[in-house]
Amino acid sequence: MTTPTIDLPGPIFAKLAPHPYQLRALSRGARTNGRATQEPRALSINASPLSHAHGSALVRLGDTTVLCGVRGELLPVEQIPQFRPLGGEEEYLEGEYGGAGGIGRGELRDYDLLVPNIELATGSAPQFLPGVPPTALAQTLSTRVYSLLHAAGLVKAGDLRVWYRPGEGKKQEDGGMEGVEQEVAEEDRVVAYWVLYIDLLFLSYDGNPFDAAWAAVVAALRDTKLPVTRWDPDREMVVCSRAEERKLNIKGLPVACSAAVFMEKEQSEAVTVAGDGRNWILLDPDRLEETLCKEMITIVVDCSDGETRIKSLEKQGGTVLGRELIRGFVGVAEERWAEVQMAMK
Amino acid sequence: MDRRRINGPAGATQPPVFDDVVSQGAKTVSGRSRMPDASRKMYLKTGVTPSASGSAYLEMETSAKPGASGLKLSCSVHGPRALPRSAPFSPHIVLSTHIKYAPFATKQRRGYLRDPSERDLGIHLEAALRGAIIADRWPKSGVDIIISIVEGDQDRETSKSQGEEAWDMMNALAGCITVAAAALADAGIDCVDTVAGGVAALVQDGGADSTPTIVVDPIPSDHAKILAACCIAYLPTRDEVTNLWFRGDLPASDMDLYTHLVEKGILASRNANCVLTNCLMETIE
Repeated sequence: MTTPTIDLPGPIFAKLAPHPYQLRALSRGARTNGRATQEPRALSINASPLSHAHGSALVRLGDTTVLCGVRGELLPVEQIPQFRPLGGEEEYLEGEYGGAGGIGRGELRDYDLLVPNIELATGSAPQFLPGVPPTALAQTLSTRVYSLLHAAGLVKAGDLRVWYRPGEGKKQEDGGMEGVEQEVAEEDRVVAYWVLYIDLLFLSYDGNPFDAAWAAVVAALRDTKLPVTRWDPDREMVVCSRAEERKLNIKGLPVACSAAVFMEKEQSEAVTVAGDGRNWILLDPDRLEETLCKEMITIVVDCSDGETRIKSLEKQGGTVLGRELIRGFVGVAEERWAEVQMAMK
Repeated sequence: MDRRRINGPAGATQPPVFDDVVSQGAKTVSGRSRMPDASRKMYLKTGVTPSASGSAYLEMETSAKPGASGLKLSCSVHGPRALPRSAPFSPHIVLSTHIKYAPFATKQRRGYLRDPSERDLGIHLEAALRGAIIADRWPKSGVDIIISIVEGDQDRETSKSQGEEAWDMMNALAGCITVAAAALADAGIDCVDTVAGGVAALVQDGGADSTPTIVVDPIPSDHAKILAACCIAYLPTRDEVTNLWFRGDLPASDMDLYTHLVEKGILASRNANCVLTNCLMETIE
């Protein structure tokens, strides 16, 4: 019996046998998508595409498109179950400038002022169809963004406080939140907080969702302008000014950089013969590559102070990436940081 | 309480309340700048979601700021694919339509769960498309049509909200029909014709006793009062209406008024169809 010659076009071969297809391409020095192993896709950021949100950004990473809208809503302190009024000047100054990365007295976390949610079920890819509860991936992504938002200290608690300064109203009519540097009178108090609802909508999904989502969050927060607020003692509510807006002070520019490890052996075999065979580190994996790779690494770096700071490092699923490789990967992430910084401008 | 999402603080948050009386007073009904029979400019593009079988994106011009866009829709079509084994036999393709407003699409923040108005839109869309698709070419299969309303058609500055939601929904539905038709064509699903949506409304721009006029593609904030509106899904080459949604309050005696309104709705959907066919022709080239 003669073996029939197989003559299949690329896309069909990729569907039938994705792993050998990818392996053959990598042995020839390029990935199936034509990129080199350490070559990310181009990132483009479009700021303020939305008019109803306080801040928004559209991020395209190859064929992954994500839209982020930030909307501020007010949370009066009476609604906070365990509200602790800010103490004297000392404590509030510490929250403003000092503290761990500017997160203040943990107000952001304690009062849950940042609410990121990621929606994948927009038909962004065939596996994400609506009408079902959020997938495990969507939940994981939301939680990762949530914890990184708090850990990186992007948003300052001071920006989200709404003050009532009884003394100031006599001096100038619309005091609002500005003039925080001024000496605090005794009666000054925080009456409400801004809660930032950060909603992310994937319009198109083609791998590496975290990098794209995080870039969108950072770009949207940098774009966010909250209205200037004032406490109206007569109506006992916070009122906002339509004319005046204030930008959020976003600290630093953390950039996420992800890669996947592609093993020569297929996943089922790799468990038994670990550490055997060649492997490739694929920067910025696409949808096909993500399904073939088990080991993933995400590193979040911030080089905006001149030196590289690692904000977060996550790695799961394998044993290939050791200390040396991770150290080398930081260099890759630094290059990525420069690219993303260019795109943010 | 949805445990699968991040819900934020336990206490209720309030959207900002604005108090600048000056800017509110200055903003009055701006009036319509287009001819009664002219539709707004529309931008349509197919193939925005490469992993879907078909997809399209639609943007509609707004009146408030020239150049800025109002309605923004993204649609993706998945399928046709085999129905699950548990599904009963169907000799036709099973359409499932899903319309969802993004949380940041409207003035008030929307939740992640579909509300009744979104379900209603989905049913109207399904009715409009069912008449266009040649359904018996795909027995035992299903197709999912998913539309995200990225930005709703609302004027950000207007403070009045005299039940405008209902009229906004009609504009949104017309856009949804057009964008879904483009995505279906992109997916290569056979249709008898390209279906497009259009809205016409009976408006009263002057006082309460001025004569009402019929306009095509109305923007609620442009008009003092909208008496009635109808949204039409129309197949131009077959001259067929696949869906008609009428809303409002008209005297039952005046049949002409109804016919005129429907005619203008057809005109609006013809306008949309021009954009649709141009877009599809460009894709082929």
